Amino acid sequence: MKHLPAALVLLSTTASTLWAGVEATRPGQDFLEKRCYDCHDSETKKGNLDLTTLPFYLDDPKNFAMWVKVHDRIVDGEMPPKKKAQPEATERDTFLKTIAEPMTAADQTRATKDGRATQRRLNRYEYENTLRDLLHAPWLQIKEMLPEDGEAYRFNKIGEALDISHVQMSRYLAAADYALRQVMASQVSRPPTKTVRYYARDQRVFAGKMKFSVFNKSPERATFPLIGNQAQPDVRALKAPLSDPTKKDEEAMGVVASSYEPIELRFDQFKAPAAGRYKLRFSAYSAWVGPGPAGKWWHPDLDTVSAGRRPEPITIYSETPPRLLRLLGSFDVNPDPTVREIDTYLLSGESIRPDAARLFRSRPPNYHNPLAQEDGQPAVAFRWMEVEGPIYDQWPSAGHKLLFDSLPIQPGKNGRVEVVSTNPPKDAERLLRAFLQRAYREPATEEDVQRFLGIINSALKSGSTFADAMIAGYSGVLCSPAFICLEEKPGKLDDRALASRLAYFLWNSEPDETLRAAAARNELHKPEVLRAQTARLLADPKSQRFVNAFLDYWLDLRKGNATAPDAGLYPDYYLDDLLVESATTETQLFFNELLHNDLPARNIVSSDFAILNERLANHYGIPNVDGVNLRRVALPADCVRGGLLTQASVLKVTANGTTTSPVVRGAWVMERVLGRPPPPPPPNVPAVDPDTRGATTIREQLDKHRKLETCAACHAKIDPAGFALESFDVFGGWRTNYRALGEGEHVKGFGKNGQAFTFHEGPVVDASGKLPDGRNFTDIRSLKKLLLADERQVARNLARQLIVYGTGAPVRFGDRPQVEQILDQTSAKGYGVQSLVLAIVQNDLFQNK
Amino acid sequence: MNPSSFISTKRVCSRRQFLRSTGVALALPFLDAMIPAFARDAKVLPPRRVLAVCNNLGLVPEKFFPEKAGRDYTLSPYLEELRDNREEFTVFSGVSHPDVDGGHPADNCFLTAAPHPGSGGFRNTISLDQFAAERIGHLTRFPSLTLGVNVQQGLRSLSWTGTGALIPCEEKPSEVFKRLFLNGTPQQVAEQERKLALGQSIMDAVAGQAKSLQRDVGARDKERLDQYFTGVRDLEKRMAMAREWERKPKPIVKATMPKDPEGPREYMEKVRLMYDMARLAFENDSTRLITLMLDSVNSPAIEVEGQNTTDGYHNLSHHGKSPTKLAQLEMIDREHMKLLSSLFTELKTAHEGTDRLLDRTMILYGSNLGNANTHVTTNLPVLFAGGGFKHGQHLLFDRERNYPLPNLFVTMLQRLGIEASQFATSTGTMKGLEAV
Repeated sequence: MKHLPAALVLLSTTASTLWAGVEATRPGQDFLEKRCYDCHDSETKKGNLDLTTLPFYLDDPKNFAMWVKVHDRIVDGEMPPKKKAQPEATERDTFLKTIAEPMTAADQTRATKDGRATQRRLNRYEYENTLRDLLHAPWLQIKEMLPEDGEAYRFNKIGEALDISHVQMSRYLAAADYALRQVMASQVSRPPTKTVRYYARDQRVFAGKMKFSVFNKSPERATFPLIGNQAQPDVRALKAPLSDPTKKDEEAMGVVASSYEPIELRFDQFKAPAAGRYKLRFSAYSAWVGPGPAGKWWHPDLDTVSAGRRPEPITIYSETPPRLLRLLGSFDVNPDPTVREIDTYLLSGESIRPDAARLFRSRPPNYHNPLAQEDGQPAVAFRWMEVEGPIYDQWPSAGHKLLFDSLPIQPGKNGRVEVVSTNPPKDAERLLRAFLQRAYREPATEEDVQRFLGIINSALKSGSTFADAMIAGYSGVLCSPAFICLEEKPGKLDDRALASRLAYFLWNSEPDETLRAAAARNELHKPEVLRAQTARLLADPKSQRFVNAFLDYWLDLRKGNATAPDAGLYPDYYLDDLLVESATTETQLFFNELLHNDLPARNIVSSDFAILNERLANHYGIPNVDGVNLRRVALPADCVRGGLLTQASVLKVTANGTTTSPVVRGAWVMERVLGRPPPPPPPNVPAVDPDTRGATTIREQLDKHRKLETCAACHAKIDPAGFALESFDVFGGWRTNYRALGEGEHVKGFGKNGQAFTFHEGPVVDASGKLPDGRNFTDIRSLKKLLLADERQVARNLARQLIVYGTGAPVRFGDRPQVEQILDQTSAKGYGVQSLVLAIVQNDLFQNK
Repeated sequence: MNPSSFISTKRVCSRRQFLRSTGVALALPFLDAMIPAFARDAKVLPPRRVLAVCNNLGLVPEKFFPEKAGRDYTLSPYLEELRDNREEFTVFSGVSHPDVDGGHPADNCFLTAAPHPGSGGFRNTISLDQFAAERIGHLTRFPSLTLGVNVQQGLRSLSWTGTGALIPCEEKPSEVFKRLFLNGTPQQVAEQERKLALGQSIMDAVAGQAKSLQRDVGARDKERLDQYFTGVRDLEKRMAMAREWERKPKPIVKATMPKDPEGPREYMEKVRLMYDMARLAFENDSTRLITLMLDSVNSPAIEVEGQNTTDGYHNLSHHGKSPTKLAQLEMIDREHMKLLSSLFTELKTAHEGTDRLLDRTMILYGSNLGNANTHVTTNLPVLFAGGGFKHGQHLLFDRERNYPLPNLFVTMLQRLGIEASQFATSTGTMKGLEAV
């Protein structure tokens, strides 16, 4: 067709009213007409794109995004298509420059006027950390008191998505009130730090589960008494007393099962008397229990005990009844009685649950311990738990002093503590001023002081105690916009705002005194000062908060337990908490390793080491790694592991527990790791429903779809990495064949739940594929090699993710030159992860709103 | 002092509010002032309510689930007990909460659908009733009621806060009655009011600061601060409303205070009385959200129709196909169905304006166990009645790969007038369930 000038076309469309007054001639018109209109006009409209009517209207975000797409397709050489005449390099570059310049300028104008980022509130991770640091109470658990945060560009750091409703406000208020009351002194004199030993036999659960009842006649689900490696049949038969006072320290209670309903071990006689720091010491050891009667050797004979044959991992949780569990730590116990210590924080009222994590979890009916051998099965024996605490370095605590300074305290009503003030109005104002100074990341105005003083005074007037009135005022401060919102003004950030941005980036919390002081001296923005502060923050243990929070969103690590391996297909993983916990920690420690050792970004795709413990090493088929602690392990040459892509945590969050999909995993890798997000799936195309009977493979099912021309273009880009990852099952286990349910010869074995396997070997996995640029790979090893060829892209993606996380704004078209600058500055170090962080902080993107 | 906690746990209402919605004008100045402020939360004016019941030992599946799907299904042996109300409920097969495993502890998740209650590091999430109470709870004196039968003190209930904390249930019918209909002492009322007033003054102060920050910021930042400001004002209004409830006398009813059954053996009588309390609360619009945990696991031998069972209820559930145990279990299960049928009938008879109270009340009855004999948490027995839906059907889903039950929760929330598109692991709204 004869192409009308764009201006006329515009007038003829209904959109014309929308764009009235907009300059209709577009940059690069000649190029578009010559190179693009053949396919992208109003008649052919290939890919649903009609370039003849697409206005160059950059104030409209959707319109802008279309032009970015046009730009990027041409840069990538994808357009014009290979089969069409290709433009000369100069012609192409001129066109790209012609449209890129106004686009960059438009983004920069917007950034200057409003800032790249929108003002935002703290997310719930940040709110929790801020209260912990402000109130000197690292044990506070606040995050779960607040609703889940909105997410944009994959992160919980973006103003547009961090909404506030009355529900949010009411939860903030409850959380603030809770936190303040938690740090206030619970009694007048310092609670004594006691060391008390809690013997397993004195615990209701340990002792109660020894006896059989109508609900349990199964030895797998019972505890049993032993001393050293001697069984105590008389005690078990209730013919002898449960405990002999002269042997208290040697007496133990054993289990052959991991904690799960109905046998959930708990040191129930202990309840933390107050929140704070505790040292918990456990004495336990591994043992071996004899086999059951002939023909039923897999049942334990609890009256036959011998020495343990290997160490056993123990996981320790705290529990707020009913059933609110927190993971505190884990350790190994040996065949000889072993004492291990966990130095931790407990909440008031928590008790302690130990779990012999490697042992099986019996699920009805007719369970069969998978660890049982014909001569018996492993067991763990618990002797005692010793608690030292609560441990205080001062009384009242630093948090209490922040709230009430050194006003005297005395016993009050209902067992509470009363703060005594001889001059409440004067004390209130003095305390409030000090608190505001500390809580706000900048000095409080007189207006603010009066505002919150108003709350305190009206509380005092209506009969509140002094402490209650102060807490009401402080609650107000902790819910106020100046506290929960990060205030940034368009343009270059002042030092105070920069300090906050830096601290919320690398600590996920408020700036500390040192950082504030540098800001107050107006020195923080100086490159060398900023660099030193960045390095200091990274070196501080608090930077672990950054690593965990960043990975929770970048890689969806927070969803690690969202789906469970299917009980039928993956009974060997089903109910395996140790594997889930180890997998999450692996990824966190792996990123730590990259960050703190400034290792090149390409390690994301492939590394010659992994962070493993025995459970993970078994899972990955890597020999000679013992024990529950994770550590850096060099990988054998040509190992499929190494890098993020083949970590169990990542392979788990990209699967659904039952099946894997190359499309889902492929899209995930494209977006999260390679920074080339595929377009969203077209509407009304149902997801492929994988066949768990083993008749067809997902690849065969997909092939039909991929052969359709309309689908092929996108899937050629999305699927390749997913195909390579088909060698890994729903939890990242290596597979050469799929597993299938239904007819077939079952694989022999028993699951962690004690149920016989009901799956059989399915079709062979084909992990080969072709990248969109035509390069072939045969499996994950060769794919990794191909991806490494463009390590700058891997680094670019990481830099972009860090910028979104650190600045609370997406990386827009106009930000690209700065991203390239960051890459240039770090290329000599192979784009070291720490170098990238340091360069980002020094960049304009970080230092401007 | 924790003002927000009073927004979410205490309060009753008169019938005036629904009278208004049905066109009966009453002089009620404070509500006049309040309704517009909440119009966006409660666009649907006819009040809707929820009673959610979980029997944590479930029902013998062979006798409960019908076979044929659709509207012309044949009632199963248990559903025969509900024959008079066949058109008032939908029965589901092949539904469950995704990834909620763990046997008995799964009852903690009946209304939360939080995955893996048996595993380490478990933390529960908000329950359906509390999610709704945060949004419509201010419309009645009590945002919600959490009830239980034979519940071990403090250990179980169906209601969980957004922090994953258990809301303990009320186990005595007489205490429920007192809360609903007997007024507090003037001192108690004054103390409540004082706390709420303090909460309001906190909200006033932070709103003032938000206003002052709104000056000289760009459009996008201002929109964020506006949203903060609105959140604060909405909460403050809810506190004001809660104060009004404190001042208003509780409704006067003809019913007399029930006598509490003496022991756990009188399980069925307790269930009947709790159903009564729920009906009274709904008739008086004291609350719109009630949960009831029937802790059968914790129940000893019980009395059914004047006879005692030979074994404890929990023990009977592990029947191992013993005919004598199964016979007793069937007697218990049928009694459950009969009580439910009486409740449906009573709610059919009661009216609110021109509507039957049953059409304004959604009743969810089910269990966290699909089969107590084997502790499976799939193929849950679930009945859903009332609420103005097209019932009289059997919705049969895949028994191998279950349909997500949280989808029903989304449908229920929307029926309450709450704009929700997701709850826990939902994937949409309940397929096959349509409003009349």
